[in-house]
Amino acid sequence: MRTITVLTKGNQVSRQSIEKLDLLLLILETIDLNGIQSLYALANRLDLKDVLPNKVTIWKLRNNNPLRKSYVNNNIKVNEFHALIKVTVEMSRYLYPYIREILKSTEDLEENSVIWSDFNNRFIELIRERFNVDSMRVKKLLNQSENDEIIIKSLLTLSLCISNQGCQKLKNFLYDF
Amino acid sequence: MQNKLSFHQSSVSLEIIGLPDYSNNESKDQISIISQWKLTIIDKPLIEGKIEHLGPIMNAFYIYSNLLVKNKIPLYESKLIDIKAENLHLHNIVLKSSKPNVKPLILKIGNSLLSDTINCFDQLNESPKVRIKKTDVNNNIPKNLRFRLNNKVKFFNFIVPPFIAICSLILFSSSFIYFYNPLEYKEKKELINP
Repeated sequence: MRTITVLTKGNQVSRQSIEKLDLLLLILETIDLNGIQSLYALANRLDLKDVLPNKVTIWKLRNNNPLRKSYVNNNIKVNEFHALIKVTVEMSRYLYPYIREILKSTEDLEENSVIWSDFNNRFIELIRERFNVDSMRVKKLLNQSENDEIIIKSLLTLSLCISNQGCQKLKNFLYDF
Repeated sequence: MQNKLSFHQSSVSLEIIGLPDYSNNESKDQISIISQWKLTIIDKPLIEGKIEHLGPIMNAFYIYSNLLVKNKIPLYESKLIDIKAENLHLHNIVLKSSKPNVKPLILKIGNSLLSDTINCFDQLNESPKVRIKKTDVNNNIPKNLRFRLNNKVKFFNFIVPPFIAICSLILFSSSFIYFYNPLEYKEKKELINP
């Protein structure tokens, strides 16, 4: 089944991959209150103007995520997907101290519960605002007692992709569906 | 005089001590012959060893973190090091000494220290000043991605659909053998009307 999926995809990206990447971007947006502007600024800084010329393009590409309210299947291309990966890695680099602090707060919830609960509340707000809340998988993301594993693993993924080889590492993670 | 290089990431630092390989015309500040390394994690015992231990320990961390983020069973075991997830936030590391009668060193680290440690290893891997046997990046790439990277997918896209089409045509047409045999029909007709 995996082989067939790869063979038929050609120059396109699977739904699962864009779903994972959009979730990672949403986590970065949860940390950075001005996340959309930061994503666009980083795209410009990385010379990705051709692929990501404005915020609307980034939004349209992220709408390929089937979990979104405004889901549209635009058939995101590999180069567009890779551009989003580069922006994600660059933003993770900038936000690493915060990502680390949130991860650390989950290790000792008695002492640092404020950081984790603030992060989780804002994440849920963003999910409610942008994702299709009727979907079972989105409901799982909204449930505070069930979403911690998904969030922690996503934070860990972001924290492991801040090196120069980060893009390759993230591609490795995202393509392994 | 030995060279010393340090790589830092938040609460973790990795120190590499060694010499340049002058036979390869390397500069003074290069390290190719590693004599010692030290991994310092804040509030944890110092980890140090020989070069032959550094590679397997780095690999263990890379493999374990890969398993962890890919939702597979997070467990790594080898002669030198075991890493196991205690829960979602804590990881148990058992470092076994190669010397007899030395008890294994047991460490418990959280996700933040795990990512710091791996980022230190990444810095070492990417440093132009230290030449070690680099961790084979390709080994961590799943087969389907390697497919894409090698552009083999284009070849398969070209060859596989006609191949499947021909095979299915053969299979489909071979089933007609059971429906109509002209010779058999003729013989039956002769038997009825001799």
